Amino acid sequence: MTETTIPTTEPRLEPGVWVRLLPVAKSLGALALITGFVLWAHFGSHFPAFRAHVAAEPGWERFASAYGVTEFGQDGHFVRAAQNGYNVFFYTHKYAWRFTRRTAAQAANTCASCHTAEDMAYGFVNSDRFDEKLGKRMSFEEHVMRCLAGHMDGFVPTLYDPTIRDLRIFARAVAHHLQLSEGARKGGG
Amino acid sequence: MVVLGGLYLLALERHSERDRLRAAAVELTPGCKAKLAGYDLAPGQEYRSPYVRRVSDVWITARGYSAEDVRAIERGCNIVDDLQGHFAKDGSERWHAKRFVRGSHTTCEHCHQGIGDKQDAAGKRMEGSNSMAASWVMADMYDRFTGLLLPHELRQMQCYINSSNGFKPNAADDLMRDVTAYSRFLSAALDLKIGNHYLEQGIAEIPASATLKRGDDYVRGAHLYREKCARCHGPQALGTVVSGKAVYPALAGPNAHSMDSRMNFAMVNSVMPGFICRNMPPGEEGSLENQDCRDIAYYIGTLPRAAGDHQGPLVAAWQQLMMTVMPPLTRYAESLVGNRALQDAD
Repeated sequence: MTETTIPTTEPRLEPGVWVRLLPVAKSLGALALITGFVLWAHFGSHFPAFRAHVAAEPGWERFASAYGVTEFGQDGHFVRAAQNGYNVFFYTHKYAWRFTRRTAAQAANTCASCHTAEDMAYGFVNSDRFDEKLGKRMSFEEHVMRCLAGHMDGFVPTLYDPTIRDLRIFARAVAHHLQLSEGARKGGG
Repeated sequence: MVVLGGLYLLALERHSERDRLRAAAVELTPGCKAKLAGYDLAPGQEYRSPYVRRVSDVWITARGYSAEDVRAIERGCNIVDDLQGHFAKDGSERWHAKRFVRGSHTTCEHCHQGIGDKQDAAGKRMEGSNSMAASWVMADMYDRFTGLLLPHELRQMQCYINSSNGFKPNAADDLMRDVTAYSRFLSAALDLKIGNHYLEQGIAEIPASATLKRGDDYVRGAHLYREKCARCHGPQALGTVVSGKAVYPALAGPNAHSMDSRMNFAMVNSVMPGFICRNMPPGEEGSLENQDCRDIAYYIGTLPRAAGDHQGPLVAAWQQLMMTVMPPLTRYAESLVGNRALQDAD
């Protein structure tokens, strides 16, 4: 029977350069990964959720200048919401596709097919009023919901959905430009 | 099945109660009676505001209100003036608003004075008076405190949660919609334009830069509080209640705003000073210097009050303990020095 001598202490090996750099390399790798993802998300992904800016659809510049939308605030939050409202209003099938069955190929596939931007503004300042046909007081948001479910052959967004909010803000921006007050009627008087 | 059936019947009862209430004639509070009569609110095809006529010498004709709309506006006015329902036969007249408020003092009118439309003796709208009409026309704008485009309804929810230390109603609740209806009516009566900023919107805040920057001092604030505020709000700012009605609201303790409220100096240190300088003491508005208002607000901010949603359970428990222990301790300490004011005791 041979006895095996087990050394009580192992000789200490000096770690190589790569081994010592491994934690640093891991950190740098993670940082590069996060940076890469952020850059891709913002500039390359084209996902709306990752973009701070709303896509400029044709006509937005002209609309924003005609209705003085860009004069609101320094931060741009309101303007971005109004711009998204513009997109929903004029390109409903594209920007509110979850709430309409109408497609680009169909006629009357946007809010603008039936309403003008100024209609929306007047509708806004005359909302929250009793509707005799429906037998209840109707808010602006409820009117939009009914439009999407009925005329747009679609589905009802929740009250908090950005589609509803941004259409309201879009109407607000136009109402501001027209300097409307509560209950203002088209054509005045 | 029995429980589910019971809940279903309860829901039906609540729905029919709402329908009854929407159709019922509204008994206005004395303040609302005067306010709405002054603006000629009545059902009709057209609405013409006597205020606009008086101010600009022209009649502006807007769309009128149906009887249903008028009732909604009247209910909204009652809620703003008397959220706790002291003037109501029962809580249903205010949509049971008390269930969204923890204390027994707060009503919208405490912060939105003049029932949301404060004017001086000459009928001039007062700067920084938290006007609900101006708030409506500037709703949906970016709010720096929340980082949101804040709709009128969400702003009301914050009032319930923070300023009333309570709970938020649903955005579509009649309680909210009626207050919105009232705010919208006020903006029609005053002919405010959508999206325009008016000086009466919000509180004209007093930041440190509006003082000589000698620093805020809560000890000086305590002294000023005793001199200027304690006669109404009480020595410990717990408010004055007469016949169950909060005549002067609590500024500390469980009936006051929470730590999350913008009125809390530690949360936002420029709102409460602005409110004090613009509105306090009643009848002597404008008599306090900016630094006085900041010192008083600082002192009030140090008093025990309920924690808000942001503080967490430990802070909430600590604040609860302080609200329970501090008032008797302070009373005892003050009894030792008799009726002498603090500076005499020093």
